[in-house]
Amino acid sequence: MPPKTPASTHRPRRRNKISTGLPSTPGHGTSIFDPLTQSQRPAFPLAAFLWPARGTTSQWVLLPVLLMVVGLFRWAIGLWGYSGFNSPPMHGDFEAQRHWMEITNHLPVSKWYFYDLQWWGLDYPPLTAYHSWLLGKIGSKVNPAWFALDTSRRMDDPMLKIYMRATVIISEYLIYIPAIIVFFRHFRRREAVDTWESSIALLAFLMQPATILTDHGHFQYNTVMLGFFLAALSNILAGRLLWSCIFFVAALGFKQMALYYAPPIFAYLLGVSVIPRLHLSRFLGIAIITILSFVLLLAPFIIGVAYDVHRQIPMDETEPPLLSIIPFRLDRQAFYYPFVLQLGQMVHRVFPFARGIFEDKVANIWCALHTFHKLHKYPQIWLQRISLLATLAAIAPSCLVIFLKPRRDLLPLTLASSAWGFFLCSFQVHEKSVLLPLLPMTLLLGSDSGLGPSKRSWIGFANILGAWTLFPLLKRDELRFPYFIFTLLWAYLLDIPPASLGVYTSYHSQPETAVGLPTKFLHISFYCTMVVWHFFEFYVAPPQRKPDLWVVANAGIGAAGFGICYLWCTWHLLLQSKLFSDASPQPAAVTPLKQRLRSNGRAKQL
Amino acid sequence: MAEFYPSISQCAIVATALKLLLFPAYKSTDFEVHRNWLAIAHSLPVKEWYFEKTSEWTLDYPPFFAYFEWVLSQFAAYFHPNLLEVSQLEYDSWQTIYFQRATVIATELILVYALHLYVRTSPLIAKQTAHVAALSILLSPGLLIIDHIHFQYNGFLYGILILSIVLARRQSTLLLSGLLFAALLCLKHIYLYLAPAYFVYLLRQYCLSPRSIFRPRFGNCVKLGTGISAIFATAFGPFVYWGQVDQLLSRLFPFARGLCHAYWAPNVWAMYSFADRVLIHVAPRLGLHVDETAVHSVTRGLVGDTSFAVLPNIPPKITFLLTLAFQTICLLKLFFQPNWETFVGAVTLCGYASFLFGWHVHEKAILLVIIPFSLLALRDRRYLGAFRPLAVAGHVSLFPLLFTAAEFPIKTVYTVFWLVTFLFAFDRLAPVSSRPRVFLLDRFSLLYITVAIPLIVYCSMVHELVFGKRYEFIPLMFTSSYAAIGVVGSWIGFLVVYFTS
Repeated sequence: MPPKTPASTHRPRRRNKISTGLPSTPGHGTSIFDPLTQSQRPAFPLAAFLWPARGTTSQWVLLPVLLMVVGLFRWAIGLWGYSGFNSPPMHGDFEAQRHWMEITNHLPVSKWYFYDLQWWGLDYPPLTAYHSWLLGKIGSKVNPAWFALDTSRRMDDPMLKIYMRATVIISEYLIYIPAIIVFFRHFRRREAVDTWESSIALLAFLMQPATILTDHGHFQYNTVMLGFFLAALSNILAGRLLWSCIFFVAALGFKQMALYYAPPIFAYLLGVSVIPRLHLSRFLGIAIITILSFVLLLAPFIIGVAYDVHRQIPMDETEPPLLSIIPFRLDRQAFYYPFVLQLGQMVHRVFPFARGIFEDKVANIWCALHTFHKLHKYPQIWLQRISLLATLAAIAPSCLVIFLKPRRDLLPLTLASSAWGFFLCSFQVHEKSVLLPLLPMTLLLGSDSGLGPSKRSWIGFANILGAWTLFPLLKRDELRFPYFIFTLLWAYLLDIPPASLGVYTSYHSQPETAVGLPTKFLHISFYCTMVVWHFFEFYVAPPQRKPDLWVVANAGIGAAGFGICYLWCTWHLLLQSKLFSDASPQPAAVTPLKQRLRSNGRAKQL
Repeated sequence: MAEFYPSISQCAIVATALKLLLFPAYKSTDFEVHRNWLAIAHSLPVKEWYFEKTSEWTLDYPPFFAYFEWVLSQFAAYFHPNLLEVSQLEYDSWQTIYFQRATVIATELILVYALHLYVRTSPLIAKQTAHVAALSILLSPGLLIIDHIHFQYNGFLYGILILSIVLARRQSTLLLSGLLFAALLCLKHIYLYLAPAYFVYLLRQYCLSPRSIFRPRFGNCVKLGTGISAIFATAFGPFVYWGQVDQLLSRLFPFARGLCHAYWAPNVWAMYSFADRVLIHVAPRLGLHVDETAVHSVTRGLVGDTSFAVLPNIPPKITFLLTLAFQTICLLKLFFQPNWETFVGAVTLCGYASFLFGWHVHEKAILLVIIPFSLLALRDRRYLGAFRPLAVAGHVSLFPLLFTAAEFPIKTVYTVFWLVTFLFAFDRLAPVSSRPRVFLLDRFSLLYITVAIPLIVYCSMVHELVFGKRYEFIPLMFTSSYAAIGVVGSWIGFLVVYFTS
């Protein structure tokens, strides 16, 4: 059973506390007390924009306005290029998504994972396929030519672009946005954060440059998966574990990348089932619901295959490699064979173990290592094992903590730490996967003193770095201009470099909340490197023998920065969990930041 | 001094980010118009500016605007000289788009400065409301739609107008205000519609003694007269010298155009046209004569000579007389009560009269009303009551300017965002009036605003689903008739407030 913290009955802090003008509130980091005028002023531009909404402004007015603003920016970025626009022969992710709508609308379920795999064969889990089917159905009503079988390939119709962009936004507004709003509601109560400050965190979260540029610029549906995951997380915060299982399976079923979150979620669910004592009914409930959700997820495929068998349509497909490596031979005539073949093919498509350790240049340790020491000379299987071990080692601390201390307030840090571990060490990572660790880390903006200079500087750092590592990808899609504008805008709103140094300098009057000197130095040196890199990338052509020099440098620097983010998340998780603080003596030198985190944690527990 | 948040500069930065992201958005033929003018100003001698007609988009703004284009073209020559060729019709490389869109954003800084000055010169008690009004103008969906998507330089021009209105606040800067307005007239002659208010105000405040209207202040008269003459001489002098006045005037005032513009601007003539459309079906039963040849021209709403089927045709003379008559009524009050608030009210009402009764009014001209009115809307709740329907109607009437699917979410969501934010903020901030409010007006505006939602839904989606491409004029007619009711309603409301305060 989870420890029943008093926080579950905690009422949110009184709203008007901030407008009373008490000098104590600037401790949150959203406002600064100006001794000269004896008044408060917003600490950073995002707080300034919501400044008039302090106090009595109803959420019914504020929330729609915020959603309209973030929607406008999303749509405006959608006006720019997308992945694979006018770039034959293969085009890009846009064509992949469109192609899936095409095949799911024209082929029986049982053919979805088999049809012409050379042309963007379906390689996402079933929920993506169902989503594509639905969008293709609606789109075909508008214009059947967009999704006509085979003839619609490589289509770059401007109206199709608008339709596809609209589907991304609508999917996001139906899943991701309700989920994050509900999440912040629960999170706010749990962390005892003011409604107003929670709205600032929400707006900052919804303006995350990396997510918007990937989904609405480059073109993908990451926010659907992230939205399901957020729904799972907010159900955990609300104590509805079974619902969280369903949503988590949905996330996994939409995009396999959600696996980054699976170990900590599993560890948490296991933890609440066995610590402090075994809670068998809960454990069984979670297990059964999870299995049922998976069955439900796969049911259309099973039914589809069963229907084919019933009509005696032959399965002439070649056996996926996954089935050929199992030790015993499958009987091709057995009744179960078509089902196994279907699931085997699905797993084979979704988990591409056959591909290399990394695809494009990506900011993780393998790509960084590869720069200095070529990894291609090692056998594939060996690399797979090494990366598995490394990943397990990287996620072990966070998973262990959440298993031993299954506290809900630790979840964002746990998830961030584990996802960073995955991103840095696992096999076949895409640069876009950086969105996964960024999500839980950015959620921390909504935590207690999350908008204070310390956390804000770190979260900002991770997000700017994340967007920066996406630059080579965005550059290919002609998204340089929106990348610069939008990343700078976000940096400006949160008062972080490269737009401003405010987060490091404007808290002189409150030394207890200011960012420590080593952190400042670390961050600013990274920011300077990023700016200098952009300068080189733009003005200096890479040497003839190393045409990828700038991209590799980007990945290497990114990996270093993400490694630091991993350490930060893991370290703060350890501190906040107080796993060791009761037993071991406190370290001698403690920075003000750590002290504060500790005292915050203590205050929350009391 | 207490600061207000978000500050003007903060809003300007975020709005600029959005405008930069809108670079690839739809652009109207006005984009090509301005590119052509850049090319004309850069590559031809001044003598030929008003004769050049390679492109159908000939120069039809006054000379200062041509000079302004010349200045811009100097930068363009560094950035991307290709766009400066007169023969390159419809040239829109991405450099051209970046350059021209960027000039709109950059020249808008004058609006930011003017609004900053407006807040600074407001009395302490009204500073907060002035700040909110300034933000509402800065973030106006009208400017976003017309300037940053459709493409024009209104932000720059209205910046000068506001600067001139703000300078009129103090006796010491009154001369500067008048001269600035004269310069504005030489940039875009549409502001002639507001000139009567300036004339009366400057006459009364600057040229005549405050104690007696029969005692002129000759020194001031000379200063103002010389200044204005100098400005007009700079603008038009060369063309007068070359004997091109007739050519210039024929470009500036093309009377060959019809009463209504392609999309009917929401004024009384739109209501008149609408009534005519209805009468076509009713007239045979009433025994009225229907002019068959006219039936089609109005339905198509094309540019050209608009003729009516049942109602009598309107000659330009009538529109001028009506405009002038309604302007004069307001100016009488300004003449006898020459303070700054009345002056801004009179400017607004001059804008109203010309918009409602003018010849060939463009729907974009609604900014001529909305922007000066915004400066007054927060004086008290009665002003706000008249402002609300105008804010809704004025902006909704701009929607037909952008008809492409990609820009539909932007124009609607941005306008709704602006209306919700600012009408909500205005409602919280507007002080209670000392005079009784007009009960009926409040109910009218609430009902009116509610109707906007189904109307937009119908015009943008339902109509096309039901009728496809047929009866395309119906949504336009509904929009402009609806907006016309709002504009006329707010005009009447504002007249009441103006004359009773």
